[in-house]
Amino acid sequence: MTVQEEDSPELLDFLLRVYPAVMAELDKSTRSHAFDGYEVDWEESSNSVQCLHTLSHAALEEKLEVTCLSWNPTGAVLAVAYGRYDHQDWCTHKSSLCTWNLDRRSLNANKADLAIDIPSCVMSIAFHPIIPSLILAGTFNGAVYVYDIGKEDDTLIASSGVGENSHKDPISQVMWLNDPASKDKKFKIMSAGGDGKILIWRLSQSSKNLKLLSGFVVQTDSIPRNLRVSKARGDSLVGVTCLSFSHEDKTTFVAGSEGGGVFKCSTNATTTATSEDIQSVPVHSPVTFAFHPYLGPIHSVCCSPHHRNLFLTAGTDTLRLYNMLQLMPSLTIEPSCGYLYSVRWSYTRPVVFAVACGNGKVLLYDLKANRINPVMTLDGCSKGSSIFTAEFNPSRKYLLASGNGRGEVKVWKLNDDLVSHKPRDQDILESLAVLHVD
Amino acid sequence: MSSTDTSHAGEILDRIQHHKGVRGVIVVNSDSMSVRSTLDNSATVQYIGMAKTLTTMSRSLVRDINPQDDLAILRVRTKKSEIIIAPERTADDREYQVIAIQDYE
Repeated sequence: MTVQEEDSPELLDFLLRVYPAVMAELDKSTRSHAFDGYEVDWEESSNSVQCLHTLSHAALEEKLEVTCLSWNPTGAVLAVAYGRYDHQDWCTHKSSLCTWNLDRRSLNANKADLAIDIPSCVMSIAFHPIIPSLILAGTFNGAVYVYDIGKEDDTLIASSGVGENSHKDPISQVMWLNDPASKDKKFKIMSAGGDGKILIWRLSQSSKNLKLLSGFVVQTDSIPRNLRVSKARGDSLVGVTCLSFSHEDKTTFVAGSEGGGVFKCSTNATTTATSEDIQSVPVHSPVTFAFHPYLGPIHSVCCSPHHRNLFLTAGTDTLRLYNMLQLMPSLTIEPSCGYLYSVRWSYTRPVVFAVACGNGKVLLYDLKANRINPVMTLDGCSKGSSIFTAEFNPSRKYLLASGNGRGEVKVWKLNDDLVSHKPRDQDILESLAVLHVD
Repeated sequence: MSSTDTSHAGEILDRIQHHKGVRGVIVVNSDSMSVRSTLDNSATVQYIGMAKTLTTMSRSLVRDINPQDDLAILRVRTKKSEIIIAPERTADDREYQVIAIQDYE
């Protein structure tokens, strides 16, 4: 495009005229402090929470419930697990694992970008924390699957199978495990089930079978006698419903049980235990401490990303904030919104968390503003069906997804108030963590 | 040194180019063609297109407020750089521009 012409006198004139001005501006710009410390907030600020998308997979005809959600590490892809919670006997449902890419220009809210058929209800899913295309799924019949959704065909890369060495009851949670302190840098897979087993698996390059590395069983013996609710035998197993790892100590996790027990566990536990099913690998009892129990099942636990000892539990209709060092909860909240199925801390504001409720609402709490009532109530299902799961987007801090009993997923854009870090948030969290010495 | 000492267009542009942080200088003639550019072709074309739209908009804004006034310099601050546009319209409605792109350290 550059035209090399003889410098016309007109052009030279122009240049001579503007030269001082341009130089003056260049000088000013290098010396200017006008923008020092100025950070642009590229997101538009707003006070309202918007529902950006309502996603559903039409092929499932609203027959299945959303049981679990997971965001991939880039924050663009949302995976949705479909299943049912009300099985009377064998699971004969044809279930799916669906993904939507929210960055896609032609987002179809009624049809997933990718739908993987799974022969049993999917109860839990988890995207790999680093590799955006790897996802875990745990099913009602006790199998763990690993999928690579980036592949064109044959997305299944490994599975645990059902039978020997596997779960004999529905899987309640699957997750990726990475302990930076351990020598083994590779991610491992952890699965927990209603049969009281917590199993650790390894993904191998060569085989399509997950290799069982070690196992844990949660038994009634782990619960101190004065905290036992049932009169079950000491070696009877306690069904695990949910797990959450501490964000600071990667060997410590909290588990919730069907019977209402809340346990602090360690992956380094050395207390040997026996399990009739698992013969090939050593089995340990993981429990290191038992907290004051609930009288009904625990549906969800979540360790605070901003405090090493605090974690939230949701069970029956009550929320509790526990300190890992203390038997009794530090805070109890009863929102009276039916059963509480899921609780998740915000990744960005230390005192904000979301709760998925049985009456179709998603509650957002801000402990700085109010310790009793939610600061925001979102309508997660217009027809009053339960919300089973809610997940904050770990990389796009404004997004929250919720899934309901009609198979619908709503993606919300949160307001600045709930997202932007506020002074004193951490102090408030610290004050909640203060131990009460009786 | 006063600007009149520079008799040659190339010399003027050299000076601008060697100013602190300057990544490129483009001189645009009345046909929206670059007469001189220190950037590659595609970047040059992009900057010219952008500068034209911006100056047209800015000028009409300035003129709307006061018809006797005119746009002298336009500075655009971006995340990475500052773009300085010096447009000039001649009496017979032809327009020259100097575009300088300056990066911050």
